[in-house]
Amino acid sequence: MAGERASWVLLAYRLPREPSTPRIGLWRKLRRLGAAQVLDGLAALPLDARNREQLEWLADDVVQAGGEATIWIGELASAAQERELAARMAEAVADDYRNVLADVAAAHAEPQGQRRRTLARLRRELRRVKARDYFPPPEREPAQRAVEELASAVEEPVA
Amino acid sequence: MRWATRCHCHVDRAACAWLIRRFVDEGAEFVFVDDPDEVPADATPFDMQGVELSHHDGDCSFEAFLRRYELHDPVLWDIAKIIHEADLADELYDAPEAPGLDVLLRGLSLTHEDDELLALSAPLFDGLYEFKRRALLLGREPS
Repeated sequence: MAGERASWVLLAYRLPREPSTPRIGLWRKLRRLGAAQVLDGLAALPLDARNREQLEWLADDVVQAGGEATIWIGELASAAQERELAARMAEAVADDYRNVLADVAAAHAEPQGQRRRTLARLRRELRRVKARDYFPPPEREPAQRAVEELASAVEEPVA
Repeated sequence: MRWATRCHCHVDRAACAWLIRRFVDEGAEFVFVDDPDEVPADATPFDMQGVELSHHDGDCSFEAFLRRYELHDPVLWDIAKIIHEADLADELYDAPEAPGLDVLLRGLSLTHEDDELLALSAPLFDGLYEFKRRALLLGREPS
């Protein structure tokens, strides 16, 4: 990809300080999408039709909450800055994968019934994390494998 | 009547188009545009930024249609939960069908043009409606 810059979709926004509910709602939705907070009031996602659409809906939310929002399409001027942004986003999901790994480790000590429920929860969580993982970190593979191993452990009758 | 929405339809727009043809306007004609500015003057826009029949207050466009046209059919509201989760995945509702439906529609959007996608997905929504209708009557899933 030398010399090839990725395209990004950006949401530039300003929300009134109060009430805080729209601000928190927006933060939550941006986090679920895996957006990088470039600056206060500027969030970025790799450009694709879905991400663009999701940010457009968030822009509407901001305007409805009495704020201002615009959607931008752009690329970083320097490859180093692009790598830095990607690394930051990878580090954020790496944290989420580490949490899954820790939960799997704890689940192996749980009684069978509870372990089954934990497995269902961790599968959902893993799916959520993968949906916002644009630059897969090394933690992804072990987290996936750990959940699969937990699944096999749940399938086996207790010895 | 003519209806306009953004091209490259996914689950919410496909479901809205089905809803329009079945419950609002049998002879509906659909126009697909790239930008809200391209909506023809005689067309009603939906699932686009800044229009009434679109995302509002955390609802997806399908839910906006049900409210706007006062469609109180509980089966449609059951389907609305699935569309909401397939489109927004905000876990407001428990809709285990949602990720599957989302993938099916996204796949169709890769292999078919918008008008074909609407033609192919309509029978899917017909079936979903019938399934949910029977489930509601039986109090459990039909066989």
